[in-house]
Amino acid sequence: MIERWALVSGLKGDLDTYELIQKDLKKTPGNITLFVLGDMIGPEKNCNRLLHRLINPKSNDLQPWCIYGWWEEQILLESGYRGDQRAEALRINKGEEVVKSLNNAVDKSFLDWIAALQFGFVELDCGLIHGSSKDVGENLTLDTPPLTLLDRLTRLQVNRLFTARSKQQFHLELTEGIVNSEVEDLNGNRKKEQKVPQKAVIGIGAGKNYTLYDVGTDNTQFVQAGYKTEKRIKGFGRL
Amino acid sequence: MNQAVISCLHANLPAVEAVLKDIELQGITNITCLGDLVGYGPQPNEVIELIRDKKIPTCQGCWDEDVVDGLDACDCSYPSQLAEKRGHFAHQWTTDKLTKENKDYLANLPYSIRKDKCLFVHGSPNSQHEYLLPDMDAFAALERVENARAEILFCGHTHQPYIRELADGSIAVKIKNAVPKDTQEKEIQLPMRRIVNAGSVGEPRHGGTKATYVVHNDVTNKVKIREVEYDIELTCKAIIDAGLPPIFAWRLKNGFEFAEQAEDASHVCER
Ligand SMILES: [Zn+2]
Ligand SMILES: [Zn+2]
Repeated sequence: MIERWALVSGLKGDLDTYELIQKDLKKTPGNITLFVLGDMIGPEKNCNRLLHRLINPKSNDLQPWCIYGWWEEQILLESGYRGDQRAEALRINKGEEVVKSLNNAVDKSFLDWIAALQFGFVELDCGLIHGSSKDVGENLTLDTPPLTLLDRLTRLQVNRLFTARSKQQFHLELTEGIVNSEVEDLNGNRKKEQKVPQKAVIGIGAGKNYTLYDVGTDNTQFVQAGYKTEKRIKGFGRL
Repeated sequence: MNQAVISCLHANLPAVEAVLKDIELQGITNITCLGDLVGYGPQPNEVIELIRDKKIPTCQGCWDEDVVDGLDACDCSYPSQLAEKRGHFAHQWTTDKLTKENKDYLANLPYSIRKDKCLFVHGSPNSQHEYLLPDMDAFAALERVENARAEILFCGHTHQPYIRELADGSIAVKIKNAVPKDTQEKEIQLPMRRIVNAGSVGEPRHGGTKATYVVHNDVTNKVKIREVEYDIELTCKAIIDAGLPPIFAWRLKNGFEFAEQAEDASHVCER
């Protein structure tokens, strides 16, 4: 059976979207593993029902494998899980109101579960993270310099990096890289030509936009949750 | 014009004096220091005061940071548990010895210094604790210089001097699964960049016993590694007299100690 990964992020408390995705995945052929790459919470809506569902999946749900994202990092900071630091970046950029909304959106009883989430997963030769291997808040996009992308891949020692922070969906292959290195030290000179094998960075999207990854063929499919149903009912063409 | 770059003085006064003398004899007045004024060695206050006296611009090193902020460096700074124990002892000894004024001086050192196309840091532009080893992944090395918007990156921290040139680089990229369907391909040329490690004045670990530093000529753009002899016996005696671990004296006399070489130098300190 085909092995597929479903990569989801940015639900921000939206249980309806999560249920739509679960419904989609039931109809998707293959042996599917569901990864939720952070931002399960956010300040916009109450997140308790979604969190409860992620922790206690319904019997016919696909088991979600979650890591923490930028919003989880903010609430952990704000709740004292990261030493003396607080969510200052959030406070400065979005204001005290948003900090308050975030605190109100998540029941304190979920904080220990959030705090136990990992920064990322390494599956096969793939890294699954929220931002980048450097920082949970780093945006990787099509416009990120390839040298930076390569560095973020190297830090995790993976050939493919799945990232969510930018909310964008893309599949960028680094097909070939070469650089000449010459080192001079007290023992003399040495030259080396370094090449990189093919690597890729994949933006998985956020919210309703998620990604299916076919592990065997290395193909990605960018999906919108409930799209097929919507099409049938409303007759929309491919957007 | 020639500029001298020194690093990792490690409270070894005879070595610092010998190197400053060597620089003076070449008529060089432009000196930059990459930190680690203290740690391991027996004369922390004396070395700081000499650098302050000479008004030598200095970045903050990993030891300078830890002596001020407390030992919160992640374990990656130490290659072994034994080295860690000795390091902690030296840390405590140095903290006790330093005057308040000198601690304040270390606390206020900048993380990096920029002069035109040159960037000076202790470890890497990411962290005082990151090792940029001479044979690390060439793309990762280039990324450190490029993201720091420099042409030459001067660093220390490894205690092994080297000059590395990264040239003729390119990366080809292809957008797969694009909407609209046409795949886009392009090749990006990478600029030529250099990393220069100044080695160590007071705690050499290049296999020999001489203090090292580098001289850069900004007209020819050439970099030379300088090796300087100093009175090692004098420093060793001071180490013993101060009650510091005798192995600190032993390794100065013998050149290096395998146990002190970083095991996983590619590890990026995330603290
Ligand atoms: Zn040092
Ligand atoms: Zn250091």
